[in-house]
Amino acid sequence: MLRYIARRLLIAIPTILLVSVLVFALQKLLPGDPVLTMAGEERDPEVLAFLREKYRLDDPLIVQYFAWFGQVLQGNLGISLRTDIPVLKLILTKLPVTIELAIFAMIVALAIGIPAGIISAVKKGTSIDYVANVTALSGLSIPNFWLGILLIMLVSVRWQLLPASGFVPPAEDLWMNIKTMLMPAIVLGTGLAASLMRHTRSAMLGVLRSDYIRTARAKGLLAPAVILKHALRNALMPIITLSTLLFGELLAGAVLTEQIFTIPGFGKLVVDAVFNRDYAVVQGVVLCTAVGFIFMNLLADILYVLVNPRLRHAR
Amino acid sequence: MTNESALRPSGANVTVAPAASQPLLRVENLSVRFDGAPPGINVVDDVSFTLAKGKTLCIVGESGCGKSVTALALMGLLPTPPARIVQGAAYVGDQNLFSLSERERADFRGNRTAMIFQEPMTSLNPAFTIGDQIAEGILRHKNVSKAQAWERALEMLRRVRIPAPEKRLRAYPHELSGGMRQRVMIAMALANEPQILIADEPTTALDVTIQAQILSLVRRLQEESGMSMILITHDLGVVAEVADEVAVMYAGRIVESGSVDAIFEDPQHPYTIGLMGSVPSLGRRQGRLATIRGSVPPAELMPKGCRFSPRCPFAESRCASEPPPLTEITPAHSARCWYAPLEQHRGAAA
Repeated sequence: MLRYIARRLLIAIPTILLVSVLVFALQKLLPGDPVLTMAGEERDPEVLAFLREKYRLDDPLIVQYFAWFGQVLQGNLGISLRTDIPVLKLILTKLPVTIELAIFAMIVALAIGIPAGIISAVKKGTSIDYVANVTALSGLSIPNFWLGILLIMLVSVRWQLLPASGFVPPAEDLWMNIKTMLMPAIVLGTGLAASLMRHTRSAMLGVLRSDYIRTARAKGLLAPAVILKHALRNALMPIITLSTLLFGELLAGAVLTEQIFTIPGFGKLVVDAVFNRDYAVVQGVVLCTAVGFIFMNLLADILYVLVNPRLRHAR
Repeated sequence: MTNESALRPSGANVTVAPAASQPLLRVENLSVRFDGAPPGINVVDDVSFTLAKGKTLCIVGESGCGKSVTALALMGLLPTPPARIVQGAAYVGDQNLFSLSERERADFRGNRTAMIFQEPMTSLNPAFTIGDQIAEGILRHKNVSKAQAWERALEMLRRVRIPAPEKRLRAYPHELSGGMRQRVMIAMALANEPQILIADEPTTALDVTIQAQILSLVRRLQEESGMSMILITHDLGVVAEVADEVAVMYAGRIVESGSVDAIFEDPQHPYTIGLMGSVPSLGRRQGRLATIRGSVPPAELMPKGCRFSPRCPFAESRCASEPPPLTEITPAHSARCWYAPLEQHRGAAA
């Protein structure tokens, strides 16, 4: 198992390298001159030249890449062109917020999506299945911002149950932190629950038709054991894949949701950085997100092996 | 060792009449219908048979004749929808299985009646160990501890002659061959000492050499335990070897039934005769292997009368329009044919 993980980690290295090249290249392809943005109204050629010199923007691209990547490896993601704060520091202040939101949203998504998927698969063709499918379709079609605004109107403005926006670090006031996270987590989570439900349903339908389910029933096992032990365990693979991918996406930040609930997470950071042509921040965030994704994939691979004994020997 | 009293059948409170003359299982007029089939066309149609204690009944027929559906109906494992039992009863003692609640049927399954399937490769759950899968059936029906159930699972692996059973207990299905997996399925089915074992083509998916081993294993276990068995097969060689009674099915109906000797020595229904003729034998043989011409008609073209009539070499106009009754030839032998007893045609098709 440890060897397997080590090997997967090694395979991740070229992926990360490739990502770094892409991040760097895409960045350079963006229209607009960051120096002009930085200089603002001032168009003094000397100032512009100084800024270009300072950020080595006149060097050949390959030199710029290695200079940048060398620094990245040392944990230096550069300094925000806009705020002069080190990018790593910016990321480290925003990342925990995003991770917390992602975890809450994922809990909501799993808690709704998997049971709903199981129930609609077992009750296939009944009104329960129909209701679940229509609900899931609505969940997929309703835009986050609309649901978010609706929730704010109802829960915060009319019923005054939860704060409409803002973020309180958990260290300051844990209860308040959870209250501020609840609505954004529901908004994000319900959208994901819909696709999780659809995937769980189709995976369960496939498994429920298999011979070993018939064997389990032939043993006299009752429905809960047949469904939750024999079927679910085998239906988990696609659910794991989807969940880890969804979680990776959540880590990239939820731009609209964070905007609506004014949560200082990754999404807001990257949008602000793009608008300000804050190259270093964009690079840092994208790189960080990509590495996050790679690790989520690794996690999925490890979970597969835990769920499916056949893979243990294939190594 | 396991607690013997705890291993006796429990669960459903059904009384089984011990009278020697009374059969253990009595199936009466069982009909199963698939949703969407043409009106009046049942996949299993008016099937009746009995199974005596300690005896083996072979249900013979080609693919799609309804033999597996009959077995699944008896186990309460029919996929519903689309399949539905539209009439009939199956008595174990005085208890009609079809009138039990789903929960009571589940108490029966794997306990009083057990089943093994055709496909050992896919019939075991790939995610759990062999021991877990055998023990869970024991834990479901018997009031034993987990350790006792595993002990019993180990004992069952020994009884089905799996080498290194202690090791196999912790193995996953993919680590075993098809023959070994079928042994595991048998161990699983017999773990609760069922009165009736239904074996649905248990050797069809296996190599020929393994087939014989599995068959003799099942027979030995049957002798040891005194259980009754319904063996579903299309292999007449298997029938000759293990059957006490035979029921030949064609297109959902039993066309001939009787003792194995009667069926083999004096087959009465043209379909049975055709089946015998299409068995290849070792040694020299004159001419081509006899076959039954044509194929089973699709449900919408099924004749109102004898379902075999479109393929029958002796069929006349009446055969297609009037369903023949099951005619008793001797007390232990009946055939569903207008011409039974078929003395004058005997051997003509073989």
